Amino acid sequence: MRVKHLSKKIHQKEILSDIDFEVKSGSIVGIIGRNGAGKTTLLRTMTGILNPTKGDVLLEEESIFKNPKLKEYIIFVPDSSEALKSYSTAEILTIYKSIYPRFDEKYFHELMERFSLTSVDKIEKYSKGMKALFSLVIAFSTRAKYVILDEPTDGLDVIAKKQILKILVEEVAVHDVSIIISSHRLDELEFMANDIVLIRNGKVDGHYELDTMKGLYKKAQVVFQEYMPEVFKNHVTVLNQTGRVYTVIIDMNDKKMEELLKQHQPLLYEELPISLEDVFVAKLGGDEFVS
Amino acid sequence: MFHKALWYQNYKQTRMVVWILLVLYIVHLPFQTLLTIESWRKQLEELSLYPDWSLEILPFEILGIFSRGILPFILMFTIILFACMLIGSERNTRRMDFTFSLPFSRKDLFLAKLLYGGAMIIVFHTSNFLIAYWILKQSEFSYVLDLVKIIQIYYGPLLGLLLIFSFAMFIGTISGEMISQIAMTVIFGVFPPGFGLLLVYFFEINFHYYFIENFYPTWIENFTILFYTFNHPESVVQLLYPVIGTAVFTALGIVLYERNNIEHNGEFLIFKVLHPIFLIGMTFCFSLLGGMIFTSLTPWNVQSLEIVTYWVGAGVFFLFSYLITKRVLRMNLLVKNK
Repeated sequence: MRVKHLSKKIHQKEILSDIDFEVKSGSIVGIIGRNGAGKTTLLRTMTGILNPTKGDVLLEEESIFKNPKLKEYIIFVPDSSEALKSYSTAEILTIYKSIYPRFDEKYFHELMERFSLTSVDKIEKYSKGMKALFSLVIAFSTRAKYVILDEPTDGLDVIAKKQILKILVEEVAVHDVSIIISSHRLDELEFMANDIVLIRNGKVDGHYELDTMKGLYKKAQVVFQEYMPEVFKNHVTVLNQTGRVYTVIIDMNDKKMEELLKQHQPLLYEELPISLEDVFVAKLGGDEFVS
Repeated sequence: MFHKALWYQNYKQTRMVVWILLVLYIVHLPFQTLLTIESWRKQLEELSLYPDWSLEILPFEILGIFSRGILPFILMFTIILFACMLIGSERNTRRMDFTFSLPFSRKDLFLAKLLYGGAMIIVFHTSNFLIAYWILKQSEFSYVLDLVKIIQIYYGPLLGLLLIFSFAMFIGTISGEMISQIAMTVIFGVFPPGFGLLLVYFFEINFHYYFIENFYPTWIENFTILFYTFNHPESVVQLLYPVIGTAVFTALGIVLYERNNIEHNGEFLIFKVLHPIFLIGMTFCFSLLGGMIFTSLTPWNVQSLEIVTYWVGAGVFFLFSYLITKRVLRMNLLVKNK
């Protein structure tokens, strides 16, 4: 799947600008960015819900806007199951079976049983976690090649989250499905994503493999004789400060850092394991970071 | 467009209105026919006391069964509501996201809605018409059916209601949500004579120019969509008006639905390019209406004040309608439940 130079203007404001990336089959791509960065707009455009102002979304080199039938291979799971809330599980099964030609009913029942989801006469009777699980069950039963998820674990309890993450990883491993997932839960993405697409102000700020992305920065705890010198502050992102103890993120490409470290001789310099969240803060946020 | 899933989805989101429509048709046609026959029998019974008198049934009474009175009027509103449930209510919620993410072209989505709605109206109308017709035909008053033409009692009313439905669907492709779809369908449905009346009043008050002869030309009636609620064409040519209208609104609806930017769902209008036209148009019409309302308050013996009162009313309505219209065009009624 190729997102090709996608731009989208809403109310004369450019929400997405020249977004360009590819989703390989059998991969999990995490779309991350701050609130309002354009993640949901990107996902809605990738599924043909919104028309792009410019650009295209290609599947096997063919536009999904020109040939909507290609969307049989793409399924969108929004952050709300409101659209089908008045439907029974049986009705939803009938609808999806008739829309998606590769729908696997046996697998649907298998997943329903595995996640202890009983049939209901209205989806709204499910708890929030069950609704999210059911959306995934139905999505994976379509045997779509690309599953697009918008905040799938938002507001769910730990057990529901674990179940959801498990099914996502299994689907990729067993059925070679590609998952494009937008989430604020960076710890979850870190657990499962291969690739990360970082969106800043509607633009792709970077598209990295997760390990490569983490390799761009290092996290360290630094203690100085006095407070951190001002010149130092310009080269690092301070994650935390307790007295004279600083937790910082250092850009690996910043050649001046080594020189500065030698020059200012900190009392303590200790490297710490870096997480995706740290990289996110370094790239996008600082203190104003909202997770 | 004939996909089972789309038809089921459309039924699911309109089933309440569909059942209301069916009940209204049953009351409107078979039930009303029974009542009318009973009324004629009663009249006959009463007239039997006077040997010289006989019951004379006029054509308008037959038309009264098939397309006159309050019931076609209620049917018309139900059909507008039906169209609004098919398009507008989807826009107020996130259902359209689901619909537009499905592997169907927008043309197919729109046609599935239009054909589903049209089919329901045709089936309900035809089946109930046939029952009503059969009841009348079986009765001792079967001869009255010779007083009217089939295009007056069946094709005319049916095509009129189909025109109104296609018009409401077309309005649904430019309006951003359900309430604006209803409001615009009604406003534009009676716009030609309504606007004409405002203009006539404007000229009468300000220029003492009276349009007595041409105040209400027939062609205006032909362009007034909601007037087709009571459609009794005399000829096949007249029958073509709603057919042409339905074809035009269907074609326009398809073109516009394909170009819908649904990020504007929940707002008054889907196409932002229409904002200045609506702002000017609505403010202008409400100003004229304000002038008309204020002038009507002028006592009959102080006609010299009419022009001043007119412009005071127009000014007050201009100010408020401008502010309200601006706010209405900015509003967003999208419901975002989790």
